[in-house]
Amino acid sequence: MACGTNLVVRGLSTWFCCGNAWGPCGATGHGACGTCNSGSHQCAWPNASDACKSITRPQDCGLSLPRETCGHTFYVTNRCNSHCVSVRVADCGPDTNSFCNQQHCCGSICGNNRVIDLTASAFSAIADLSTGIRPVRVDN
Amino acid sequence: MTELDRRQFLARTALGSAGVIAATGLGPLAAEAVAARGDVAPGERDPNFAEGKILSIDGGTLVVSSSDLLLQRIQVTSGTTFWKLHETTFDDARVDDRLYARGVPADDGTFLAERIWVNIVNLHVALVGIASDRLQLDHPGGRLVGHVVPDTVAVYSLGPPTRDLSRLRVGMHAQVVGAWHPDTDEIDIATIYS
Repeated sequence: MACGTNLVVRGLSTWFCCGNAWGPCGATGHGACGTCNSGSHQCAWPNASDACKSITRPQDCGLSLPRETCGHTFYVTNRCNSHCVSVRVADCGPDTNSFCNQQHCCGSICGNNRVIDLTASAFSAIADLSTGIRPVRVDN
Repeated sequence: MTELDRRQFLARTALGSAGVIAATGLGPLAAEAVAARGDVAPGERDPNFAEGKILSIDGGTLVVSSSDLLLQRIQVTSGTTFWKLHETTFDDARVDDRLYARGVPADDGTFLAERIWVNIVNLHVALVGIASDRLQLDHPGGRLVGHVVPDTVAVYSLGPPTRDLSRLRVGMHAQVVGAWHPDTDEIDIATIYS
């Protein structure tokens, strides 16, 4: 899958579960868009709506993220291995302001701030789930 | 390796009996080597991904009930790698464990697994209590006990993984990768990112 070339932001990505799920996320539901499922290539975006942005508050971390609503397609590249996945916005998140300026690296490649969350299937397509967090590049 | 080549290779290396994990032509799948293969349209279900609850273990076959209550046979091959709190083997899989898997669907409907994560969770939590052997974690799904085990490491911003958990503080937000104790409110912590 080809990646986009219009850079939106660089930062950190984690993964999450949604839809019918097991374990502590069993009560998560289908996300803010009502379509989210762990087995589908989807994401959570911090500026999916006014209500979403009022919770995630990326501006508190100095980020100006564009408004992209349910169904928008992003191309997310794991900067540790250059693997890419295309995903559609299906939820609001991550809670960016809870982790302002947090930085994590793989070798010399580092990312700052939580900018996007991927479903388990999407994250596992570009990284190992056990790594938990990866520096990524997000493109349109 | 094309999708058809991978399917044929995995089918040939399917385990005939449980508990046999050996080095193969694939070699161990390093963490970052589990990568996207094949095109999946954005927003669509990934056919190379499976999840659910283990209902039975028969030789190298796991019968799994997905969260959508669909039954699926997951075939373990000699190249399948496992994570259950740490890198491990098929021997540690148990009935009632939950799993995520990546692999390829075979023509007969069986899912040929390359990588299986057992009971793995990745949770945004707030630390509400800290003891030497456990952390009390607030999560949108409820209060959790996070057990500190010999494998537990912390990753602080700008730092490498460390066994030193002394910089954790009540009130901190953290991301926790761990292994859930099925059907409980407890997890074993693999990595806590703060």
